[in-house]
Amino acid sequence: MKRPLLENERFVQIAAPLFVGLLFLLLWELVVQANDIQPYILPGPVAIAKAFVEDAGILFQGLLMTLKVTFLAFAIAVVLGTAASLLFVQSRWIEVSLFPYAVLMQVTPIVAIAPLIIIWVKDTTWALTVCAVIIAIFPIISNTTLGLRSVDPNLLAMFRMYRAGRWQQLIRLRIPSALPYFFGGMRISTGLALIGAVVAEFVAGTGGSKAGLAYLILQSGYNLKIPRMFAALALITLTGIVLFALMVWISDRVLRNWHESALKVEQ
Amino acid sequence: MIEATASRSESAPPMAAPAATGESPVRVGRPVVDVSGVDKIYANGTIALQGADLTIRQGEFVSLLGPSGCGKSTLLRIMAGLGDVSRGTVKWWEQDYSVVGQKGRKLAFVFQNATLMPWARVRKNVRLPLDLAHERGPEAEAKIDRALAMVGLSAFGDAYPRELSGGMQMRASIARAMVTEPDLLLMDEPFGALDEMTRNKLNDDLLELWQAKGWTVVFVTHSVYEAVYLSNRVVVMAARPGRIVDDVSIDVPYPRGADFRVSTEFAAYCRQVSKSLELASRQGREVRS
Ligand SMILES: Nc1ncnc2c1ncn2[C@@H]1O[C@H](COP(=O)(O)OP(=O)(O)O)[C@@H](O)[C@H]1O
Ligand SMILES: [Mg+2]
Repeated sequence: MKRPLLENERFVQIAAPLFVGLLFLLLWELVVQANDIQPYILPGPVAIAKAFVEDAGILFQGLLMTLKVTFLAFAIAVVLGTAASLLFVQSRWIEVSLFPYAVLMQVTPIVAIAPLIIIWVKDTTWALTVCAVIIAIFPIISNTTLGLRSVDPNLLAMFRMYRAGRWQQLIRLRIPSALPYFFGGMRISTGLALIGAVVAEFVAGTGGSKAGLAYLILQSGYNLKIPRMFAALALITLTGIVLFALMVWISDRVLRNWHESALKVEQ
Repeated sequence: MIEATASRSESAPPMAAPAATGESPVRVGRPVVDVSGVDKIYANGTIALQGADLTIRQGEFVSLLGPSGCGKSTLLRIMAGLGDVSRGTVKWWEQDYSVVGQKGRKLAFVFQNATLMPWARVRKNVRLPLDLAHERGPEAEAKIDRALAMVGLSAFGDAYPRELSGGMQMRASIARAMVTEPDLLLMDEPFGALDEMTRNKLNDDLLELWQAKGWTVVFVTHSVYEAVYLSNRVVVMAARPGRIVDDVSIDVPYPRGADFRVSTEFAAYCRQVSKSLELASRQGREVRS
């Protein structure tokens, strides 16, 4: 049966925000044109699109650099964060002794410690990565720890009754129970890894062959190439959205058979 | 303890019950679980059990009956070795907990909610006790097949728990308990959340299995009818403090079919048990006031 498009949930989900976005861009262009606003004050969408095409080369290079730092930082945050959580749930003592330091790391403004890290870590890419890891790791640690502890007490009792060892408990019970929380942490963490990569680069301000999108924004600002600045900004935002969507997709794939967050409930 | 003894002597045997209680074959079995003088006081000060004495013998079907909060679950968990006692002793097969799990001394527990792993298919849930004991191979598979067949879930091994109805989830949970071929089966209000028809059906299935397998079953319920229908013995409990107040033998041969549910004998037993419950709750109130 063919249903009218407007009743198709998927279509509406995509079309409605797209429509709002286009309307906004159109209005923006109209305002810029009507008031004859100069591009170095506020470029219209058309000027920005032009910058996209003209500066495609450097924009793409910047994007690659930023993505590289983001992915590196995210991967390290996931591995280290998960390892820390697994350590925390081994003993109350370990958690109580170390968790405050994870919080400490979270509440310290990255902008304040980035210059130090840039001094300590010689290689720019790694310096930026370290900064990004510091802010991306916390949601992984806190969510995964919470998840590893959120085990159905009756299931745990049953595992004990059947004399399950620590390892069996971890593999068969704690890790599966923690997965939804872990993915929740990943969703937040990707965004933070990107923010970390960008913020750190702003602080570092290093250019050259290793320039990422943040440096491009800085440089475009100095040179009053505002359309290019907007183009770089749009790329960062887009990257964030894509990463988030990717995380949602992965978590839905893994959890779709059992977890409420990924279920399509049939009424 | 004094109260318990008092109420026990006060509850007269029902008119319809056969008199030959002492000759009931179930009474002569060896003790499977023996709880003596057990107190359980939780960290928050709740006296969940006081002076509980109870011996479950080989082959018996015993129900623990009482209002919610009277310590039924607490007592059952203690019998499963899932909680420490504050005072008193518990013996399994006349020894300490370390013998539990050995051949001929296996124990299984069925929780009030199905307590399945939502991420695992039914078959994987059922095989969990075997997995934990590193039992693999065709023999293990055969055990799983048998357990699933017993509860009528052979066709649902590949389903996820959420795809099953409440009754079917409970069956899966029972299959998981049965897969190890337990000698002692402890069940905490297993059918409490089900509709009456499903409940009756599962009651009959359970009785059939119990008879066929020679299990010993301890069954927690707050339904007088369910307790009387199923059990050799109904252990009546009261709250505040949680204690055992009566122990009623139901001397009716199995199989007990639908006819038993509507018999005068059944009604008489239900009346006796209800009276005992009522008496206990009245005493409880007097103690508090
Ligand atoms: N883990 C616990 N901590 C503190 N109090 C508890 C705990 N479990 C049960 N209780 C209390 O002990 C009493 C008996 O509980 P329970 O054994 O669950 O009763 P029942 O199964 O008969 O409803 C209740 O008052 C309950 O609130
Ligand atoms: Mg209970």
